[in-house]
Amino acid sequence: MSNSESDAAYFEKVVAEIEAEAERRTADGHYPRALLRSLDEEFRRWIPDTGRAAGVEDAIRSIEAAAYIDPGVPVESNKAVGRYVKTAVRKATYFYHRHMAQQIAALGIQVTRPLRLLDSTVRQLDARLAALEDRADVNVAMRDELAASVGDPDLSDAVHAAITDHLRDAPGRTLIGEITRSGPVAHLVDAGIDAYGVGPGLERHSSLELRDESLIEHLDVLDAGVLGGVVLIGATDRFNLNEQLTILDRIATRVADGGRVAIVVRDLDAWRSAVGNVGADLIQGRPLHLETWVHLLEREQMTVDCALPASADEPVACVLATVER
Amino acid sequence: MSGSVHQLVPTITPRDAVGNHTFRLREVLRGLGYESEIFAMFRHGDVTADTHLVDQLPPDADALIYQFSIGSPLATRWAQYGGRRIMNYHNITPVELVGKWDGLLDAEVRLGREQMEHYASACEHAICDSDFNRSELDALGYASTETIPVLFDVADARPDKSVITALDARRKKSGGPQILFVGRIAPNKAHHDLVAAVRTLRDVYGADAHLHVVGTDGPATYRKVVDGIVAHADMASHVTFHGSVSQEALVGFYRAADVFCCVSDHEGFCVPVIEAMHHGCPVVAYDCTAVGGTVGDGGLLLADKHPLTVATALQRVAADRELRQRLAAAGQRRAGDFALDTTRQRFADSLDTLLSGERRLP
Repeated sequence: MSNSESDAAYFEKVVAEIEAEAERRTADGHYPRALLRSLDEEFRRWIPDTGRAAGVEDAIRSIEAAAYIDPGVPVESNKAVGRYVKTAVRKATYFYHRHMAQQIAALGIQVTRPLRLLDSTVRQLDARLAALEDRADVNVAMRDELAASVGDPDLSDAVHAAITDHLRDAPGRTLIGEITRSGPVAHLVDAGIDAYGVGPGLERHSSLELRDESLIEHLDVLDAGVLGGVVLIGATDRFNLNEQLTILDRIATRVADGGRVAIVVRDLDAWRSAVGNVGADLIQGRPLHLETWVHLLEREQMTVDCALPASADEPVACVLATVER
Repeated sequence: MSGSVHQLVPTITPRDAVGNHTFRLREVLRGLGYESEIFAMFRHGDVTADTHLVDQLPPDADALIYQFSIGSPLATRWAQYGGRRIMNYHNITPVELVGKWDGLLDAEVRLGREQMEHYASACEHAICDSDFNRSELDALGYASTETIPVLFDVADARPDKSVITALDARRKKSGGPQILFVGRIAPNKAHHDLVAAVRTLRDVYGADAHLHVVGTDGPATYRKVVDGIVAHADMASHVTFHGSVSQEALVGFYRAADVFCCVSDHEGFCVPVIEAMHHGCPVVAYDCTAVGGTVGDGGLLLADKHPLTVATALQRVAADRELRQRLAAAGQRRAGDFALDTTRQRFADSLDTLLSGERRLP
């Protein structure tokens, strides 16, 4: 065996030992888990939405910087005499180069003025568009208030068991959202599932990981394929159709191949009785039918493993699916 | 051999990997007997006497080699060139990793990726820095590809003693390992993950470790975030950003550091890993993109870069003298595979065979 071969085998063995020790410490919780999570959140919080806005500004600045031209022509040369000749020519023609440089600098500044105007116009358009969107979406506060009054549905033991079994082999962490209380997370964690909950207004919990943020915003900052599973609950009763489709679109990319998805949706009659007539009339969304969720999940290339319909004894329906890429 | 083989490169600067490689490749081509010049759109002031603007590119060279590492209008010029068209591919960082941080770079890497795909049929032969880079071109249908590492001479100056003294003093005072990373502060290099790993090392193993980062700033937005992470992790007095340093200082860092740690999410080759190995600095690296191919059997390659895994690896190397010695020796052997004479000869053999043979389509 050569040095290289024996070293390679030795290094592989060392790496295996390192991985085993890291796994053991992870299992024992012997590492600063909360700190690392907060560092991860801090990092994600500061990832820019897009670099384009800064890109326009950077482009304008770089044009302005490039427009200020040094009229001193370089005099380096491969030949010894070349440097002297070039220096002499530079001195003799400096007045000319300075005149040209001034004109080019002026041109550069003239070029950036319309760019700045264009940038400012685009920003104004953005602002007006946002204002128009706000105006078109009237009475948002009232609808949000009504929607917030719709709590998460209570799940029976049978539904809990079906979801827990489905998530047991999830290839990573499971997200539960958008919830208003910790119950569903506690249930899964007690069953040995690595789960955390997301919902605005969720209060901190000593042993559960609950994140006080909206589900859509949370999904937006996750990388593709980082989740092992998702349980969608609550949002299916409160969100409008566009929001529910947006969430499904995000789930389809954020969940890893082989990941598990569970959609819990309240029966329409049970939902009506929960929100009352005023809520049913004014909340923009309503629970989608079980068949609609099956259709939507299949359109996202997921395999629907099971669809449990609601019944007189069971006021929630549930669809269990697996992501297949 | 007679005739002319020129190189086309969007920007030529004297102190970056592609710039140095381009100058060294010109030496190889001239050594083969070809007339060879470098044509660029933007030229650093220090190399204007030694290079040419692209508008001076003669239309009748036998072959034109395009140094491809970013999107540029020059790629179109190369693809439409009448002579034989050879590409030297150095990788383009995926837009997902850099786009959000730098708007201009976003546009350039997007264009680069489009050009990479679009000009597959225009390329007679492509030489790639690494097998990883080569696999990207193969997947796009490039007809003829091969891997030859970038031409570079490892930083081999006399080490700056003040750097070695400073690291030794810090090690003596704290007893903790001095961890080094060399590379531009850019999101694909994942400095934020390195900070998290060193913080974990300090917490879990009680090691008073210090992280030394050598390299220029990339996107200002990313640097700001890394500074924020350092503050949030309470690591301000345990991380030092040294910026761009002299060759002497760089060698000092390689010689004095206890371990070189790379947790980049994307590298097309990674010269600093080879420099670290050359100087006997043990390497711990996250095995992704071209990093595994570059490190080879010369370092510890980790399949994941969870801060705890990286911290455990750093602790193991710092605490295990025998492992450190074997890593140093294996690294130096591995670095020898990239010796300038070896790669120069490989380029000479490849180009000699290619250019003396019949032109292959296209």
